[in-house]
Amino acid sequence: MRRIPSAEGRAELALGAVAVAVLGFVVAMLVTVFVKAWPSFSHNGYIKWFFPGGDVDQQIKAIVNSPPDPAHYVYRLRAWPLLWDTLLTTGIAVVLGLVLSLLSAIFIVEFAPAAMRRILEPVVRLLAAVPSVIFGLIGILLVVPWINQHLISQGRKLSVSYVVQLNGAGLLVASLILMVMILPIMVAITVNALSAVPSSWTEGSAALGVNRWRTMWRVSVRTARPAIIAGAVLATARALGEAIMLALVGGSRTFPVNLLDGRTALFEPVRPLAATIITYKDNLTVVPLSQTLYAMAAVVLVSTAALSLAAWSVKQPLKRYGIRT
Amino acid sequence: MRRINRSLIISLLAALALTSVPAMAQGRALLIDGSTSIFPLMNQLAAAYHKSTHAPTPKVGQGTSGVGISDVNSGRADIGDVSRDPIVGVDPHGLVFTKIARDGVCVITNPANPLGNLNQQTVQQIFTGQVRNWSEVPGASVTGPIDLFQRVASSGTQDAFQNIFLGESLKISPSASAEESNGTMRQAIIGDKNAIGFASFAFTPGTNAVSYQGIPCTLRNAKSGQYQGVRNFWMVTKGRPKGAAAKFISWVIKPHNKTVEKIVGSEWIPIY
Amino acid sequence: MAGAPPRLGSAPPTAFSPAPSPGVRGQKKRGQDSISSWPLADRVGYLLCWAAGLLLCALAAAIVLVMLVKGISYLRPGLLLEHPSASQSQSGSGGFLDPIEGTLLLTAIGIALAAPIGVAVAVWLSEYRRPAALARAVESGIEMIAGAPSVVLAFFGLLIFARPALAFLSQTSAGGAVYGRSFFAAGAMMSLLALPLVVGATREGLAQIPAHMREASYALGKTRATTIRRVLLPSIRPSIASGTTLGMGRIIGDTAIVVILLGASLHLEGAGGLAGLSTLRGTGSTLTSYVFENSPAGEGNAPEKAYAAAFVLLMMVLALNMVVTRLSSGKPRWMAGLTGPMLWRWMPWTR
Repeated sequence: MRRIPSAEGRAELALGAVAVAVLGFVVAMLVTVFVKAWPSFSHNGYIKWFFPGGDVDQQIKAIVNSPPDPAHYVYRLRAWPLLWDTLLTTGIAVVLGLVLSLLSAIFIVEFAPAAMRRILEPVVRLLAAVPSVIFGLIGILLVVPWINQHLISQGRKLSVSYVVQLNGAGLLVASLILMVMILPIMVAITVNALSAVPSSWTEGSAALGVNRWRTMWRVSVRTARPAIIAGAVLATARALGEAIMLALVGGSRTFPVNLLDGRTALFEPVRPLAATIITYKDNLTVVPLSQTLYAMAAVVLVSTAALSLAAWSVKQPLKRYGIRT
Repeated sequence: MRRINRSLIISLLAALALTSVPAMAQGRALLIDGSTSIFPLMNQLAAAYHKSTHAPTPKVGQGTSGVGISDVNSGRADIGDVSRDPIVGVDPHGLVFTKIARDGVCVITNPANPLGNLNQQTVQQIFTGQVRNWSEVPGASVTGPIDLFQRVASSGTQDAFQNIFLGESLKISPSASAEESNGTMRQAIIGDKNAIGFASFAFTPGTNAVSYQGIPCTLRNAKSGQYQGVRNFWMVTKGRPKGAAAKFISWVIKPHNKTVEKIVGSEWIPIY
Repeated sequence: MAGAPPRLGSAPPTAFSPAPSPGVRGQKKRGQDSISSWPLADRVGYLLCWAAGLLLCALAAAIVLVMLVKGISYLRPGLLLEHPSASQSQSGSGGFLDPIEGTLLLTAIGIALAAPIGVAVAVWLSEYRRPAALARAVESGIEMIAGAPSVVLAFFGLLIFARPALAFLSQTSAGGAVYGRSFFAAGAMMSLLALPLVVGATREGLAQIPAHMREASYALGKTRATTIRRVLLPSIRPSIASGTTLGMGRIIGDTAIVVILLGASLHLEGAGGLAGLSTLRGTGSTLTSYVFENSPAGEGNAPEKAYAAAFVLLMMVLALNMVVTRLSSGKPRWMAGLTGPMLWRWMPWTR
């Protein structure tokens, strides 16, 4: 083996040690979160943790009121309402955001006059920079009261008052603001992908007499599809982890939105997984509750990690065309 | 360049050491956690304690009475604030409760709905969900469905409301929104015209405090004993109070302590 | 870049530089087809694109205007300099000096930890990378941190800092339990937020250094370590600065870690002992947690204070953003600050 000069070897070892320490830290984090979360999963029969089965608020109430004796800790939780709320808010936000981001990206790359293009970069950067607590503040102080007064009638409130109270904070606000928060990620990635489509392809399409919109749609968007999907996946991971804004505008109950209610479902309160963790943070000293919250954190961590991996693999095809985005 | 860096570091450390000498005289501060109802009172008591005895200011947190009990039991806090009476079988063994004050709990509505009076039956019907519309409540100034608010499970105020107004068997309707603390309860009531809830007396400014059984929920009526909805404030320690915690607690419950009397009497009921 | 796959056709025009070839990218030239000749579906698509672009501008304008109007109406200079009043309800007198101090202190701690570690990791990944499997594992680890929500990081921080071994980083109660919440704890977790951004920006900067600079340095007989220290790092100072500034923006805007790990006391309350260390081991609040607590989700019952603090927060973040734009100007990629480090993860061959 080639002898490395000692100073050189020391530098490499030192830097390598720092890098390995960071890696070790991440591994320790994963392992510890799962170890802490295990009792909650095991006491609930592993799979049944994810099933529906009653009011989550009441179940958490019972967990918080567990007797202090470790043998009698209460763990029962059926977290489906949380998962359902998470799926709904994230799903609506990503689907709407995908449409809006695709159209905006096409606009930026193709149709915008130069002046508008120069404005749009700071605009998207601004949307990316605004902290989530400010989105939440504007949501709860302005949007929620407006919805309460103008979009929810007394009749609608009465129709569900046996089960839940409507006060404006709910699925609609949460999904819309979440969409605005994840928009910049998708727009940025899509714009990069669309601009990186080789110009010979688009020029060839124009030479055949195809108009700009169709060229963009059929050639560029089609080619950049993996990048667009990867952007959507990245945005989904971001949406899953959003806690503060959703805790502010989601509403004050854990309630699985009932889609059969029709339009009323838009106004029913939601409390996704990450927002639940923030909501119950004050009660962390109660051991079974902290283990339950770690279980929720583990679920969030696994889903974001899985999404990251999925996005990486989805972008592999772009290599084939030499598209550098 | 290296010499300048080294001397810079040395002078920084020296400055740090010099400024730290007076600060080193401080001891360890007490950690107090628990009821959101007791929080404003305990903050004032802690500040006054520091002023009069120059002991380090106790650090006061909040997270409902249940959290106070579990914090004290696990040793995470030195003293727990609890605004409900001890519950045998639920509370851990070995905790010692010291009463420091009493407090009134009022039913509150939005100022746009200045309900004059509620009797026990109406309160029970409203909070258990039997009565769902303001049109069925005499004296209401708003129409529409009733928006119920309660507190979270570990709240002492929730426990007090349950015992005083509802009794053993009746349960609050599950459709009621659960608020974390007295502060968020007050926020919720102020923000919703159709809202009704309950809170510690110190948190009623800004809302309409409803008379109960014909007696207005005021400090005077609570002190005189006419108003029925009164509960105890406790400071809880693991075992008998020791050390700095004992000093603080004995300062608070000392008879003829004018500072404490003034603070407690402002919005709560003194025990003497 | 060495090792990049061959590109088809000429260099693609970017979104912000006008295309050299006429007719395809938005230039009006003679012979350009006009919109009216398009089929209906395509015209609808065109209009929708315009609508989307305008909607984006409208959203940004709405947010800025609302914060501007509300912030200026509730903000007075005194608020920036007064301590918060000690009571629960913040609607009376008192400002938010302590939250501002908390924000600055927390950002300083976070960056002080993230910048050196980030640059070290980036240099190792870029220049050394031995063994290769370990390098890929480290990359995945950085990616995992970047994707982890701040709530999860905060929770993990609680686990770490409540250990008795780390009791010196926060306070202990008389019963011996470690409080676990302090500026140290929150700052350490905040540095994790900024770490991926610093690593990404530094790697990108290192990748853009042309090979001949390294070769010239080796030809002069310098070792790799010296080359890194004396040639490479100084030349990518703007990249490191840009990554650090992005990290600062992320730290300033985060709420979850502050709310869970900073102890939620309105004033900066020290933990006794050495003056500087006392503050670091003590609790406090930042602008983000102040806004959170004063909003209807929290206690303060003072929406006007929340607006004022949110306005100050937004101004800080926007100012940092302008610094990033200034630092990364001249980069050909669109939204280089936002997409560079992130795309790095997805497109390792673009290094």
